[in-house]
Amino acid sequence: MRVIIDGRECLARRGEYLLDVAKRNGIFIPTLCHSDALPGQSSCRMCIVEVVEGGRSKTVASCVYPVLGDIEVKTNSDKIRRIRRTLVKLIHASSPAGKHMEDLLERYGPLPENRFEVAEGEKCMLCGLCVSACEALGTGAISTINRGTAKEVAPPFKEPPEACIGCGACAHVCPGDAIEMKEQGGIRTIWDRNFEMLECTGCGEYIMTRQQQEYIKAKDPEGTVELLCEKCKRKKTVDGFRDAFKNTGF
Amino acid sequence: MLVCCGTGCLANGSHGVYREFEKMLKYADHSVKVKAVTKATGCNGLCEMGPIVKILPDDIFYCRVKASDVEDIVRETLAGGRPVERLLYTDPATGKRVKSHRETDFYKNQQKIALRNIGEIDPANIDDYIQRGGYRALAKALDKMSAGEVIDEIEKSGIRGRGGAGFPTGRKWRHCAGANGATKYIVCNGDEGDPGAFMDRSIMEGDPHSIIEGMAIGAYAVGARKGYIYIRDEYSLALKSMSRAIEQAKERGYLGDSIMGSSHSFDMDIVRGGGAFVCGESSALIASIEGRIGEPRAKYIHATQRGLWDKPTVLNNVETWANVPVIIDRGSGWFNSIGTGKSKGTKVFSLVGKVQNTGLIEVPMGISLGKIIFDIGGGIPGGKAFKAVQTGGPSGGCIPGSMMDLEVDFESLGSAGSMMGSGGMIVMDEDTCMVEVARYYTKFLAEESCGKCLPCREGLRRMLDILNDICEGRGHKEDMDTLLEICEALREASLCALGKTAPNPVETTLRYFREEYLEHIQDKRCRAGVCPDLTEYYIDESLCRGCGLCAKNCPAGAITGQPGSAYIINHDLCTKCGRCRRVCKFGAVGIGGGAVV
Ligand SMILES: Cc1cc2nc3c(=O)[nH]c(=O)nc-3n(C[C@H](O)[C@H](O)[C@H](O)COP(=O)(O)O)c2cc1C
Ligand code: SF4
Ligand code: SF4
Repeated sequence: MRVIIDGRECLARRGEYLLDVAKRNGIFIPTLCHSDALPGQSSCRMCIVEVVEGGRSKTVASCVYPVLGDIEVKTNSDKIRRIRRTLVKLIHASSPAGKHMEDLLERYGPLPENRFEVAEGEKCMLCGLCVSACEALGTGAISTINRGTAKEVAPPFKEPPEACIGCGACAHVCPGDAIEMKEQGGIRTIWDRNFEMLECTGCGEYIMTRQQQEYIKAKDPEGTVELLCEKCKRKKTVDGFRDAFKNTGF
Repeated sequence: MLVCCGTGCLANGSHGVYREFEKMLKYADHSVKVKAVTKATGCNGLCEMGPIVKILPDDIFYCRVKASDVEDIVRETLAGGRPVERLLYTDPATGKRVKSHRETDFYKNQQKIALRNIGEIDPANIDDYIQRGGYRALAKALDKMSAGEVIDEIEKSGIRGRGGAGFPTGRKWRHCAGANGATKYIVCNGDEGDPGAFMDRSIMEGDPHSIIEGMAIGAYAVGARKGYIYIRDEYSLALKSMSRAIEQAKERGYLGDSIMGSSHSFDMDIVRGGGAFVCGESSALIASIEGRIGEPRAKYIHATQRGLWDKPTVLNNVETWANVPVIIDRGSGWFNSIGTGKSKGTKVFSLVGKVQNTGLIEVPMGISLGKIIFDIGGGIPGGKAFKAVQTGGPSGGCIPGSMMDLEVDFESLGSAGSMMGSGGMIVMDEDTCMVEVARYYTKFLAEESCGKCLPCREGLRRMLDILNDICEGRGHKEDMDTLLEICEALREASLCALGKTAPNPVETTLRYFREEYLEHIQDKRCRAGVCPDLTEYYIDESLCRGCGLCAKNCPAGAITGQPGSAYIINHDLCTKCGRCRRVCKFGAVGIGGGAVV
């Protein structure tokens, strides 16, 4: 497929998402809720672009728009820029304290004084990545509750979630740094629950919670959970190679 | 004898009337020469006048019948052959009583296709449906037509979806028929989430077999063997009526294996829905049937390719399905001759609000708005001035009184900034504040949006903030531009049609009633007296006759004065309920407020 993005001709596989095509060709499209590991949120709508097909122009979200024919794409037209700016103002009013704002302000700032009552201190912009991460793990400890303007991310009954294994995936994917996760004296606290941390048998660094280890074990009763941090794991592999080489006499 | 047992009439006690007839006729048989048959039917449309009783073959039409009237009807009409004058319908235009409903403006200007059987048959009786030509179209399709020919017919008829977007039904079916895969599904959207709408409910309650037959024909056309009808949980009567009809259709072999001896098999089930407004959106509805949370998904790939359980799926609205058998039976040419250039056939509307005849109507596409509101609807009650009509459900737009010549079809409603939607039509008079109308719908949408995508959730939240400010006297002049700026983001960047259409109420009121926004913002005044913070009632000395009626009626005791001389409103006590204005016989209570008084 031939796709012309901002005047540049790019090649795309049939069905490939526009955002991926643009990325591969070094064309920048802003995103907030996109994660290569958890694609398809399509909730922040920052990745909108104009697609011209058969003479007609439409606005689409590039992260979920599949290329199915020869199209022309404008990622940065006046209209797109105007709408993105409106979105940034809306995001600023609802989650001004989120980490995502740093980048947005750099790119789109300075913003005019906000017309609305700003939700001071709020970090979450309700992109839904944390929920998707938790769902993808199969734990499903948190979800979005309510609809419309009452929507929020929360564990069931807003109580410390029983299903949570304290893996921290939600906190890691969060673009706003909105999920509080603290570690102190071998105890990790997240979603108002405390988890005992297990140490790396190599270097002694805390690497996972006990519940996490149990969860992995329960999923694969045959396998063994190696208590090694990434660094020590790599070291072990390298050492293994070295030993193997040593034995062959090199 | 047909007793309307639609939801509106049932609420007014029509079942009691029905039972009374049955009881009376059991004992009164000696004086009634003909054998009387009483039937409980679906909604007649003129709910305002319910309970409604029709007597065939003379076509006598009685309104607001009570159980106590039954004796008179049996004695006078059934035994004596005379109408009971006091129960006949009074034409609001002429003030005369008319015998048959067909003589009334309300019915005369209508044309019934989707509602063809409603009020004429007992929905619990499949033979009633068959007697009026039911299942003939299915037989014709299976016997004499190939699947491709059925699709051709539907395409040539020009029918477009009645559930909202108006997508050509034939094209949808063709896409699905051409999609790869052996398993395909047919879905009927009976969610009907628009508050106050009852078009689809009436069809499900009053003529369930028309939907089943339509779906069976659609299934044959696209090659589906399984269908689902999604009905909201609150619609208990519709649920009952549909499930009974499905059972009957199965017993008679209109559903199931080898339908009517053909090689086509099709079965259907009911899915009960939680009933959130957004669940009516096609991808949310499909998610909901699959047992997942009812939120819209990005659908750059159509359901006809990948729909229910990722299989090719045709999803149509209740009214769309109910049209299908008639098109096959009478031919696409006949259907195509009704309506306008790109909008064919008829449309059902629920006509409500400040209009004499509220109820369910079906009119040919292209009829003018004025004809609907004034001829069928009988105009505005209480001698008030007509201001606007809101069409298309909560995310429709408001069309001003100056555009009453507008032909009602998909294109012209769209170009007026509104939409056909599923057929809501709310009439507004001079006592309506258009800013408040925009605020009301924006609030509804802000609460009913699924809240997943940012422009819709945050855009509606902030639009509502602004509209609240304007209605409460805190509006700025720049607010109108800010509203339009957010509207653009919603329309262009939202994920589903809820967000994309949500700007309509605000955009149309800004377009047609800008001066009311300005009054609210600059003069701090609400001309309709609806926004309490911007309303001040005053008594015009030159008009007040000093009767004191207002003072007597004021619940806050805010009106003082001496009989014979002009009364005065104490603004510190006034709660702005507006009762004084409503009771004054001399029009002496005016609405001021803000900078004007
Ligand atoms: C927020 C929202 C609510 C909707 N609600 C309904 C509904 O209650 N009933 C319906 O038939 N269509 C509804 N629709 C339209 C459906 O998405 C879909 O277009 C329609 O059911 C397709 O059938 P049709 O082509 O026969 O109209 C809704 C759309 C949106 C965006
Ligand atoms: S907590 Fe973070 S990841 Fe979760 S919805 Fe909010 S911003 Fe997105
Ligand atoms: S437009 Fe509104 S209703 Fe539709 S997906 Fe987005 S948030 Fe949900």
